[in-house]
Amino acid sequence: MINIKNKTKSIPLIGVSKSILKIKELIHHVSDTCLNVLITGETGVGKEVVAQNLYTESARVSQNFVKINCAALPETLLESELYGYEKGAFTGAHRNRSGKFQMADKGVLFLDEIGDMPLALQSKMLHVLQSGEFSPLGSEQEFKTDVWVIAATNHNLEQSMAKKTFREDLFYRLNIIKIEIPPLRKRKEDIPPLIEYYLKIYRSEYPNNRVEKPNSDIVSKLVNYPWPGNVRQLQNCIKKQMIMQSWEKTFNDLPKENGQDSTIVGTDKNAMEIQELPDKKAVNSTTQIISEFVDLSTSSDKLFEDISLKKIKKMAADKVEKEVIFFVLEKVGWNRSRASKILKVSYKTLLYKISEFNIHPHIE
Amino acid sequence: MAELNRLLIVDDNQDILSTFYEFFNSMNYEVKTASDGFAAVKLLKDKPNFFDCLITDLVMPNISGVGLISIVKKEYPDMKIIAMTGYGDQPGALASEAEADCVLFKPIDLFKIENIVAQLLITKDNSNSKQTDD
Ligand SMILES: Nc1ncnc2c1ncn2[C@@H]1O[C@H](COP(=O)(O)OP(=O)(O)O)[C@@H](O)[C@H]1O
Ligand SMILES: [Mg+2]
Repeated sequence: MINIKNKTKSIPLIGVSKSILKIKELIHHVSDTCLNVLITGETGVGKEVVAQNLYTESARVSQNFVKINCAALPETLLESELYGYEKGAFTGAHRNRSGKFQMADKGVLFLDEIGDMPLALQSKMLHVLQSGEFSPLGSEQEFKTDVWVIAATNHNLEQSMAKKTFREDLFYRLNIIKIEIPPLRKRKEDIPPLIEYYLKIYRSEYPNNRVEKPNSDIVSKLVNYPWPGNVRQLQNCIKKQMIMQSWEKTFNDLPKENGQDSTIVGTDKNAMEIQELPDKKAVNSTTQIISEFVDLSTSSDKLFEDISLKKIKKMAADKVEKEVIFFVLEKVGWNRSRASKILKVSYKTLLYKISEFNIHPHIE
Repeated sequence: MAELNRLLIVDDNQDILSTFYEFFNSMNYEVKTASDGFAAVKLLKDKPNFFDCLITDLVMPNISGVGLISIVKKEYPDMKIIAMTGYGDQPGALASEAEADCVLFKPIDLFKIENIVAQLLITKDNSNSKQTDD
């Protein structure tokens, strides 16, 4: 029987580096053990891909793969999402609702960003993993769980334990199998096969697009770029190239830290500007705008998934608002109440926007 | 006692591994070593039913000692298992829960652990002699 919810598309784990090959082998050896797994690594390295590969190689593949992001929800909501609730458990609980533990029964429960789980919920999680039982909020009934728990985090949990923000007993209970994914810059060999793979995927999506393979010069630049956003950032770069139709330009647009800008090394600034000119002409302002939005894209295998007009409107408005708020705040020396008067919004709204857009004073 | 007893020793600390190796070798055991749980699982798959006893550290990369114990209990239920840890109570408690025959805390007295191995293997031989194979 094919389960509807089980449409989790399986992305192959692309890579030829020693670490990726070892991870593949490890996945193969542990996928039928049902032992708790902890996957660690920076954002965008492929933790979720590894979790999905564990699932698709296991006998549980005919059951559900249920994901919950422990960083995205406030504590009370996260708790009811995990365990479900009974009608009347709290105001607004109009009927019974089952939680992720129930939905993942006999399948996989993927606890993403476990390092951000509030301490109180960590205790409860520990208790559930220990006893193999849980009860929905407001219910007396104990349910037996049969889930394979795979957890992931970009935190260093050893440090979190030292700071007492992560429970040691929960750490050891999750850390039965540990899969550590190194950042992309530490496994540069994986970059060319990843580029090839995603070019192929995006091309099949838009067969009419002209897709240019990067020449060896660009490949070596891409291989040596540090990719702070890891594979996710590399994906966005490839998408962007498909819009800009210029690898040179796409690469130059990548954020560079001082000293990492390979195009500047050995060339004086004028020479670089001249070199950039033909590209500037080729890339008109429309593709420029679209490529900026691709930069903000978070979806993986769809080239244009994030580009709905509504979303773009919001992104564009946010971007302008952010710039204007920052400008005004700097002008008034970060006197927020003056700024709110100038901008004609309430003080509270301004504070909310400062935090939403993550606006900070400019430090010289 | 014609055959030597076969031990699999697993620790990610190379010094401990070689110390144990030398010691048990000199005490007339046949010893193989692995530097983490994953290496151990591969060794075991290569040589099923070869080892009499597993001595494993608990906190290790890839497959932890606790993971290794669970796998061994399931796949090779005849093997005796000794867990050792230097990381406080948590991993030790999990090793007991995974049904290690014995959990020791580091630093470990080599003669004491040899004693335990010998004891465990006697009980193993006794239970095996009833349903003799090789
Ligand atoms: N080894 C890989 N092979 C193919 N795609 C990958 C690989 N690693 C990461 N990706 C892709 O990169 C993006 C980020 O991966 P993800 O698993 O979400 O990272 P994380 O969970 O570590 O932040 C996803 O779109 C994923 O499909
Ligand atoms: Mg993720």
